[in-house]
Amino acid sequence: MEASITLKKVGKLVGDKTILASLTFGIERGSLVAVIGDNEAGKSMLLKVISGIEYQEYGHVFINGLDAQKRRLEVMSSIGFVPHEVDLDPWLTLEQNIQFMGKLYDIDTEILNTRMVQLARELHIVPYLKRMSGKISPGILKKGMVLRALIHDPEILIMDDPTAFMDAESYRHTWDLLLRLRGQKTILYVSQSLQEVEEAHDRILVLEDGRITLDGSLDKLLGSTFEFHQFQIEFEELSNDLFKALSKLPKVKNPSRIGNSIHFYGRERNVFFDVLNAASAAVMKDISVQKLGLQDLMDAKYAKDGIH
Amino acid sequence: MIKALLLRRMWLIRHRFMTTLAFMVLLPLMLHVSITMVMKNILVHSLGNVPYDIWVFPGIILLIAVSSTFAIIYRDLFDLRIHKKSFIPITMAPYSKSHLVMGFLTTSIIESLVYVIFAMGVLTLLISSPLPWMAYVLIPIFAFLYTFLLGNIMITFSVLTDRISTYLSISVIMFLFIIFGTGMLVEFDFYPKIIDTILSYNPLSIVLTQLRKILFDGSIQWEFLAIPIITSLVWTWLNGSLLKRRLKQ
Repeated sequence: MEASITLKKVGKLVGDKTILASLTFGIERGSLVAVIGDNEAGKSMLLKVISGIEYQEYGHVFINGLDAQKRRLEVMSSIGFVPHEVDLDPWLTLEQNIQFMGKLYDIDTEILNTRMVQLARELHIVPYLKRMSGKISPGILKKGMVLRALIHDPEILIMDDPTAFMDAESYRHTWDLLLRLRGQKTILYVSQSLQEVEEAHDRILVLEDGRITLDGSLDKLLGSTFEFHQFQIEFEELSNDLFKALSKLPKVKNPSRIGNSIHFYGRERNVFFDVLNAASAAVMKDISVQKLGLQDLMDAKYAKDGIH
Repeated sequence: MIKALLLRRMWLIRHRFMTTLAFMVLLPLMLHVSITMVMKNILVHSLGNVPYDIWVFPGIILLIAVSSTFAIIYRDLFDLRIHKKSFIPITMAPYSKSHLVMGFLTTSIIESLVYVIFAMGVLTLLISSPLPWMAYVLIPIFAFLYTFLLGNIMITFSVLTDRISTYLSISVIMFLFIIFGTGMLVEFDFYPKIIDTILSYNPLSIVLTQLRKILFDGSIQWEFLAIPIITSLVWTWLNGSLLKRRLKQ
């Protein structure tokens, strides 16, 4: 598929600190891509650089094949951006904030109003349109910002924590809309909610210290990087000798003890049977096996050091 | 783009219509009471023998234009920028930064001209004798030139400053300079010769001096008007570059 966004050796410095370090990757047209990472990993800066809010010091960003820095005016019409913090004009109504942006992009009034009402219905914010932005809760405003970013019908939608401040219902309405747009628009977003990313992505980029450390779908990331499962066995009484014996089994990784429970990781499920055999003399109360999720992947210990 | 920016200004005025109306009526009244009524007892006539309240009329009008331009530029390019409210989305629209600066300037000038026209109406009722009708055409034209230049100065400060305290200090200094350093209330001939020479070649002073020349002497030095016009155009372009650099866009 054709690339909608392409980064070539993009580097960004703030003072002496490297925020983005020689990033090279492409994002396919119509795909839904999530960016995750620790605080200060460079996620928001990456979005700012791609959306043209801040230029990179090194490298090139291409939007639909056009150099974003050299052909800025052509490129900007195809980008819609939702920042993390609420940035609507508090002295205008929500509707006026949206209409102003539409007018700025030279959208015909009739098209603008039709589009605004249709999107407002999908996001369930019609009753708030006539209210002053300064008097609306941040979760609703964030939905208004998503609407504002879509008002000029951009091909690329870039969002920094699109569902921040939202309650469960608003979250669902927003994702219903975004998932409807999936395939029509290239959507790139940052989220702190790993559950959100697990639910909505074609691809996940894991950013760490300005570098992409992992790139792929959740299944691919977990499959290729960590084919681990988490195991937990609760005994009636877990003696130190038994814990040591189980910990020394060759396929048991990172064992830990919580009361009478042993918690460990294993690459294959059959490690579980090895442990059960070794502990057959002890009385077991509960057992659980769980595949690793994004949370485990992002856990600093495993993301940085792996499971030993 | 200018249409969008103007529409936004209209919405903003509509939301605080009573405050705006009070500003439009009270500001000229206050300036008349606190400046014209006091100063005309001291100076009585200008050195060209024009009654002081008539002579100062263009200055007072320009002072009103200055106040509104200050408020508009402060809001659009400083307040919204430092508080991260709707400024970045505006800069993301597909326009060059110079074009954007020109847009902000144009809207602030148009709004200021509305205040100017309203203030002329209010002040005409208060002065001893009305000015010739030509004055009501010329003053808005020169107010346009004056706010074009002043708007550029304020845009530079607004873009370069990130702290409210610094901005306020600069604004106070600018206001004092405008009032006492551009011949708004007192003629330059009252100043020492060297100060008079320096101040009278300031582009802001040139606009006001030429306006008074044409109003009260019936003459004008067109070549002098080229100075503020060229300065403003170059400054607009420079402000575009400055905004681009500051935003790193």
